[in-house]
Amino acid sequence: MKHLRTIVCSTGMMLAASAAFAGNPYEPYAGTTLVINFPTTPHYNAVMKILPEFTKETGINVEVDQLQYLKMRQRQTLELTKDVGDYDLIGYVVFSKADYVYADQLENLAKYFMNPKLADPKYDADDLIDGYVANIGIAGGEKGYLPGKTGSLFGLPFGSETSILGYRKDIFEKHGLSVPKTYDELLELACKIPQLEPGMGGLSSRAASGHHASHAFLLHLAPLGGRIFDDDWNPIMNNEAGIAAATALKKIVDCGPEGAQTFGFAEAGAAFLQGKTAMFLDSTQFAGQVNDPAKSKVVGKVGWAMHPAGVRQASQTGGFGIGIPANAQHKEAAFLLMQWLTSKHADKLIALQGGNPSRFSTHEDAEVNAKFPHMKLFGEALRYADPNWRPIIPVWGKINADLGTTLSKVLTENLDIKEALDGVAKRTRATMEDAGYYIWQ
Amino acid sequence: MNRTLANRLTPYMFLAPAAVILLVALIYPLGYVVYASFLNWNPSQRIGQAEFVGLRNYINLFSDESFRESFFVTIRFSVIVVSLEMFIGVGLAFLLDRNIRGMSALRTLFILPMMISPIVVGLMWRYMYHPTVGVFNRTLKALGFESMPWLLDGDWAFASIIIADVWQWVPFIFILSLAALQTLPQSVMEAARIDGASGWQSILYIKLPLMMPVLIITFLLRLIDSFKVLEVILVLTNGGPGLSTEVMALRISRTATEFRELGVAAAMSNILLLLLLMLTLAMFFYNKITEKRALRQKSEAAEEM
Repeated sequence: MKHLRTIVCSTGMMLAASAAFAGNPYEPYAGTTLVINFPTTPHYNAVMKILPEFTKETGINVEVDQLQYLKMRQRQTLELTKDVGDYDLIGYVVFSKADYVYADQLENLAKYFMNPKLADPKYDADDLIDGYVANIGIAGGEKGYLPGKTGSLFGLPFGSETSILGYRKDIFEKHGLSVPKTYDELLELACKIPQLEPGMGGLSSRAASGHHASHAFLLHLAPLGGRIFDDDWNPIMNNEAGIAAATALKKIVDCGPEGAQTFGFAEAGAAFLQGKTAMFLDSTQFAGQVNDPAKSKVVGKVGWAMHPAGVRQASQTGGFGIGIPANAQHKEAAFLLMQWLTSKHADKLIALQGGNPSRFSTHEDAEVNAKFPHMKLFGEALRYADPNWRPIIPVWGKINADLGTTLSKVLTENLDIKEALDGVAKRTRATMEDAGYYIWQ
Repeated sequence: MNRTLANRLTPYMFLAPAAVILLVALIYPLGYVVYASFLNWNPSQRIGQAEFVGLRNYINLFSDESFRESFFVTIRFSVIVVSLEMFIGVGLAFLLDRNIRGMSALRTLFILPMMISPIVVGLMWRYMYHPTVGVFNRTLKALGFESMPWLLDGDWAFASIIIADVWQWVPFIFILSLAALQTLPQSVMEAARIDGASGWQSILYIKLPLMMPVLIITFLLRLIDSFKVLEVILVLTNGGPGLSTEVMALRISRTATEFRELGVAAAMSNILLLLLLMLTLAMFFYNKITEKRALRQKSEAAEEM
């Protein structure tokens, strides 16, 4: 009798379990512990606050290993070459896409989005920001690193960013200046402000030797009509547009705050927050800090505008994405987490905590805009986010460093711009030749 | 027969553990770096997957302008820094080789810079060199002078890293020279004084020659160290502006992490290693020659007597 009752009971439980299975896609993975690796950027700090929500909703536990992004990259490089990895989901910096995909270390996401038990039909991938998906998620299409007929998806944008112009409303009003919409206006203002407000720089820009100088140059290169390579991988950063971009950078740095020649991202931001410059042109990631009285002396005084247009409207794309390592141990549960984190629901939660949303709808959300009034404009700016503002190829690190150190010579030692860029083009050609890019020509 | 064999083998058996440790701890890693320098190896690959390219990394390096520039930056940096440090360190030792009250406290104070972690030294100097809020430029401005472009200009940045390195490493030379000075035989000093040697004469002809073995070792240690300097410069300038302060160690680190070319980084390390090895050998032979000459002079002097 007792025996029979046990059987009835357990059958009942099994029925209940299968009923739950039908209604809850997370059920089979409840109790799993995912180990994930994230950078320590403001976006991911915001994500940390909403992760408990995921565990509450799904029963899947998440353990996070958060590292400074360069350290994170080094750790991942080692981690991904192991047979069995420790990480189930990683946040990767955009230029890692080339390295990881090329070394076959990131999961192709097609098989997960095809799986009816895993893919959420209400996910609405169309709402994801095109420029970010193209820049961070897709590989194998045009030029190898862009979308195209042969491309496929390896990651989703998460904590991505574009460039935006911040300006001091009070200074602009005081002198009756209008917010620059074009590069000509921007450059004129950059040097006019130090005359109007002695001791104040025009525009805060990065300029330090290496990555920073290169980034600042690229920021102007795309709007001014330039590119690093033409369609046949010939270096063209030394054409007219390239020279215009370098000239613009030099002008901005010369009219910038004192010591601007050695500014990195942090210093350029700090100069703006300390009220030492009237404008700031860089990543949206920075926006969360301007109204924080602990960090900023310009609370309530900052307005935002689109990255000014040159011959085209083009802002940068960068930041981070998330992907599943090929050697992960809990890939399906990791996909569920990835899908949840980039869903409309979580995207909004993260935005409300100060993160960078990855969806158009979040940028237009009333609640998000009530808390961060600049969000709508950022959403508008994202329509012009240019996924091809810099190449994402394995040898880019080397070219980037050379470009950055050479530009630093232009900024600090008055090296002739044409001569400098010609040198970079020559060395870039050699690097590309070595890497086999001209073998078909 | 067996016994003689065992006897003959005994010393080797005693040596074996040391030899094994030497092999594992020294030869294996060295061999690994040498092997890696023949590969086209990026960090996303395991060493086994890397392509063997023979001497290509070395050949490319010799035609690489940036590498050449950083090679000469390193040499210039080391020569200037070590000469300055030897001069100031030994000079300080002569000045402080006397019985002053509170000498031991002073000595501790003098070697403080050496004890600070290089990253902290870099950060500290970076703030002091800051163009607007740094103590140097603020002082200059307060005194009515123009501010200096400490880290903003190639030559100034090079001078700035030299100042920081000299500040940190003079104490090392000072403390070793002082120790050498204090162990010099008093009888020789007394003899010199009785013979009427002036202060300078006793320094030049008695103390310095007697300290020479210690000074040479100190010089060598500093020279090797200065070729490998990384952290302070990394924090202070990260090699910039341009490549004006990009020493070899920094170039190697960037090649491995930023350019992701482990093979090239290994080749650079080997070139640096060869250079240091050559310097050390040169120093060793110089030492041998001077020792021999001293011995000969001594025996000649003895014969004359």
